[in-house]
Amino acid sequence: MATVAVAAAGSGMPKEEKAPEGEAAALQVQALMSAHCLALVLGVGIGGVTSGGCLWDSKGLAKANSDVMLAGQEAIFILARVLELFVETIAKNAYCCAQQGKRKTPQRRDLDNAIEAVNEFTFLEGTLD
Amino acid sequence: MAERPEDLNLPNAVITRIIKEALPDGVNISKEARSAISRAASVFVLYATSCANNFAMKGKRKTLNASDVLSAMEEMEFQRFVTPLKEALEAYRREQKGKKEASEQKKKDKDKKDCEEQDKSREEEDEDEERLDEEEQNEEEEVDN
Repeated sequence: MATVAVAAAGSGMPKEEKAPEGEAAALQVQALMSAHCLALVLGVGIGGVTSGGCLWDSKGLAKANSDVMLAGQEAIFILARVLELFVETIAKNAYCCAQQGKRKTPQRRDLDNAIEAVNEFTFLEGTLD
Repeated sequence: MAERPEDLNLPNAVITRIIKEALPDGVNISKEARSAISRAASVFVLYATSCANNFAMKGKRKTLNASDVLSAMEEMEFQRFVTPLKEALEAYRREQKGKKEASEQKKKDKDKKDCEEQDKSREEEDEDEERLDEEEQNEEEEVDN
């Protein structure tokens, strides 16, 4: 899997963005992961600041490794939003499984059932053990 | 890449907050389930990045952009994410545009202020020179007298 370096140095996203009043709730942007958090997860440095065991800045990475990709500010923002949507979806599915078992608190087995039941989550099978 | 598995962990506080917002009020989630969701999110972001990476490579580009991530969502069968993501991106672009315009306006105002200050200082210098010239003339006249 290729490493991703953050192109816009220190382009941290706001912790919480409220959409202007009157706009649809769907437009509320809650970029809860900062670029730095994502960089940590992806094991890359933000403009020279090393993180996740990475010892080069983004330029050095790109030169050293042909697999290395740079990620623009917008891509980082979208990835953060994607993560939020994913966590919401999987949590709701686990809760539905708990309700089917007449329970209010989702357990680990509910999560496993949710992963089994939803086609999109097949890539997670066997990764959480 | 990350050296240890724990390097892939997402911030627990953030994950917990998203889960709480997704579930009805008063509903808790077991600690084990929460940590599994966190791990699932880490796997998911790496999978999504890898897919987006492939789209960028197909386009012979070195930089991932928003459209690569959106295409990756389609390929990963998360089509239902695409619409809210596009809306979020629009809102983000509007916000960035607003910030850019504000900073440009600030720069213009600063430049204008600098110009005014320069003009003012030039005027003061000119006045000083005129005064010096007058004083010199007066001195010369006194000497002549």
